[in-house]
Amino acid sequence: MLINIKNNFVKIFLNSCIFFSLLLFNFPIYAHERNDDWKDVLKEASGQTIYFHAWGGAKNINSYIKWASDEVKKKYDITVKHVKVSDTANVVAKILSEKNVKKNNNGTVDLVWINGENFSFMKTNDLLLNEKWIFNSPNSKFLDFANNPSLLNDFGIPTDGMEMPWGVSQLNFYYDTKYIKSPPKSALELKNYIIRNKGRFTFPQPPDFVGTSFLKQILIELISDRNFLKSNYIANKHERELDPLWQWLEEVTPYLWRNGKNYPSNYLAMTELVAEREIDFGIAFNIAHASNSISEGKLSNSVRSYIHDKGTLANVHFLAIPYNSSNKAASRAFVDFLISPKAQIKKQNKDFWGDPSVISVNKLSQNWRNKFSTLPRGVATLTNQDLKMKLEEPHPSWVKIIEDKWIKKYGSSN
Amino acid sequence: MEKKLYGLLAKVLAIFLGILIIIPIIFGFIGFFLPSFGYFPILGKSEFNLNYFYISFNIAGISKSIIMSLFTGLGSTLLALFFSQVILLYFFKTRAYNYIKIIISPLIALPHITMAIGLIFLFSPSGLFFRLFSPWLTGFDRPPNFFIIPDEYGFFLILGLILKEIPFFILVSLSAIQQFSARQIFDLGKSLQNSNFSSWCILIFPLIYKKIRLVIFIVIAFTASVVDMSLILAPSTPSTLAIRILQIYQSSDIDSFFIASNLALIQLLIIIILLLSWMILERIVEHKLFFIFFTKILSFRIFFLKNLIFASAVILFSLSVLGIFSSLLWGFSKNWYFPSFFPNSIDIDTFINFYNENKFIVFISIFISVVVSFLSSLLTIIWVELMDILKMKKLYLEWIIFIPLFIPQISFLIGLQSFIILFNFDSFLIPLIIIQLFYVIPYSFIILAPSLREIKKDIIRVAASLGKNRFQRLVQIKLPIIMSSFLTSFAIGMLVSFSLYIPVYFIGAGRVTTLTVEALNLALSGSRQDLGVATFFQIIIPILILITVVYFNKKMSKWRF
Repeated sequence: MLINIKNNFVKIFLNSCIFFSLLLFNFPIYAHERNDDWKDVLKEASGQTIYFHAWGGAKNINSYIKWASDEVKKKYDITVKHVKVSDTANVVAKILSEKNVKKNNNGTVDLVWINGENFSFMKTNDLLLNEKWIFNSPNSKFLDFANNPSLLNDFGIPTDGMEMPWGVSQLNFYYDTKYIKSPPKSALELKNYIIRNKGRFTFPQPPDFVGTSFLKQILIELISDRNFLKSNYIANKHERELDPLWQWLEEVTPYLWRNGKNYPSNYLAMTELVAEREIDFGIAFNIAHASNSISEGKLSNSVRSYIHDKGTLANVHFLAIPYNSSNKAASRAFVDFLISPKAQIKKQNKDFWGDPSVISVNKLSQNWRNKFSTLPRGVATLTNQDLKMKLEEPHPSWVKIIEDKWIKKYGSSN
Repeated sequence: MEKKLYGLLAKVLAIFLGILIIIPIIFGFIGFFLPSFGYFPILGKSEFNLNYFYISFNIAGISKSIIMSLFTGLGSTLLALFFSQVILLYFFKTRAYNYIKIIISPLIALPHITMAIGLIFLFSPSGLFFRLFSPWLTGFDRPPNFFIIPDEYGFFLILGLILKEIPFFILVSLSAIQQFSARQIFDLGKSLQNSNFSSWCILIFPLIYKKIRLVIFIVIAFTASVVDMSLILAPSTPSTLAIRILQIYQSSDIDSFFIASNLALIQLLIIIILLLSWMILERIVEHKLFFIFFTKILSFRIFFLKNLIFASAVILFSLSVLGIFSSLLWGFSKNWYFPSFFPNSIDIDTFINFYNENKFIVFISIFISVVVSFLSSLLTIIWVELMDILKMKKLYLEWIIFIPLFIPQISFLIGLQSFIILFNFDSFLIPLIIIQLFYVIPYSFIILAPSLREIKKDIIRVAASLGKNRFQRLVQIKLPIIMSSFLTSFAIGMLVSFSLYIPVYFIGAGRVTTLTVEALNLALSGSRQDLGVATFFQIIIPILILITVVYFNKKMSKWRF
């Protein structure tokens, strides 16, 4: 189970989910239909080229995508071109502008790596392929939608089958054990640490994904009632609830790296800073990031990861097909490959990407189960036990408020 | 009769070419001009209003961004011009003068961002500069917190721009000097009891200035709206206006397109303001008072000041060389942590991996620059030839081709983007090549047009009387005569194309990337090793281009004479 369940309420919900899914998936007949459909999809996909817009800053992820592209080329004769994106919001903006000029076919984006507020934006603006396509993927049978609501809910927004789960992330911190004995494990401890160690902490500049997530993490830890975060942000009702975050930042910012007047552009730039010991802590969403950096020779062997005592933000990242994708069939075939056990185990492997799989092991054959269970973990990767405290993502409407206000207060005030 | 037909054909072709150049410029302009007033029917908005100006000026910290852009444009141009003249003056009477061109050519050839990356490698707290003094002098066993690059005020951005523009100003000044008898004038000035400095300022500089005025204006427009260097060297809280435009344009708000367009117009206004204030500055300097200042006050031989200025020019030069050197060092190092001054081990793994992963990008960058540069030289020759056929001498409209250099790249590309999205391009390579042409043709034109037009009419007449037709005359007579200019134009064209960032970023849309775009991505996120290797390619390719051209130039001139 991925999400930490605190009350019975969720259990009841899950049970009803199972019941519901049994109703939905009348397996024998449905599977048969699915198979026929799928043959057509593959036939249509063969020989096509798709443009996969995915964040392209990390070498290991790029190599993984390259490997997957080579595989589908061999398997289905699909050419995948990875368009390396620096911020997914740009891709969303592009699809929106295509919709605005009524370019409803032949869009430039065929497939996009996405989650959170970008997904929410695309969903509300009808920019997504909307036909529950993910359930028709043969390999989706390995995903336990019934028992794992996080696979169908993106930052609390129901995905309605418009995006396929690809991997699991959890915000984590890392530090060099050679220099730091006990890292700060809460927003409050962190504040004290920052003030005591001037210039040795920073976070990627919002609206960078990890930077904004860090702010959300602090907000969740400090907000008076976390239930506020589950619903839409309403200015006159919720504005005050953000005060603890701004208060925290007000106290901390002058003591940040470069006095808070400059920030690293993303989490990879932070890794370089940790390696050079300009700063003490790194932040990442990929739980294997520190281990990967160690094996790439970027970080020292003594680096380890940790999360806050009350848990850290956890989310699932997805693959979505824009409504105007020029090659929907090929995109679907590629997605299907990406969630296959073969692709997912390679993704989870610390030597390639280290991103946890979305597949439920108990849905796999014994052979695959063994392979997954014997997969080694990186030296600095936390165990599932260590990572069990997970925090839910706030409703996407909070993101924009936090980003805009941060930019106003700290991102443009020098 | 036949001649008439010939002329008609030429006329049609000339008009066609003219339209081909003008139409995208117009579209690029109205593509951001109209939306900045809230008018863009394609997006369903057809009401003119000034709301977006109100919104733009209410963006947090926007005035700081605007001031920084103004400051950068004016400051870097002034300083670069000043130092270029100081360096020229210092070398003017020495033997080294003949070698300046060779020394600065590689620096001109490098893309802007290599200079920016060099400065980062040099001056970041974990950079080479602090390593030199740590820990033995400073006591730092880890990088200090106090030194800031990028700095708050954008001084490093100005420094980076200066380092890149000084060699450029020197080069254009050198060719300007060749056009008048500078030595005699200089000696005359000295014989009238003026110091070197004041003779230069009063006698030589005004003559140079007249010839390089256009180039100075281009540099002002460029530095006030530069994107690639700002991304690396400008502060980020907030950044320069050009970067803010980029950020807003890319955010997924419905309104962001209109706000970005509006800011793009403001960016254009900034350049117009800068150019106007420069012209006012020209007036002031022309004024008599300044002559008195130069002759009376500066005629005292202020050795100290002179040497100080020269020393800082030398320091600037060594900074650029050192920065570039240190970025190379990073490309071939492993486990190189603060405070060790030299890498613990040198290896070429990063290099090989990078090359294997990016060889297509290396190839495509070279390919694009060759095609663009060739087409641009070809079009220029065709244009000049057409004008010759049509016997058009005074061409008032030719300045139009320089417009793309004065409209900020970011504004122009935002404008074009609104229209490009309407077309269904299967490949982004062709639009990219076309758009790059707009940035390369002006340079080909500056170099090629004068040398083509200066060919002595007698030679052509002799060729004609020998029965050579127009095409034969062009290929057999004119081209060999201007071969050296052609090669220069070809090389400069390639270098300009190779270093373009914003056009590739926008038009290539991630599907076509070049080394410059890739290097910038690495500078913002990637490992220092990869960045070092990318910089290596960014250095080696332009230098190879230069060497090739110099080699061919020598070879060609051999068989020509």
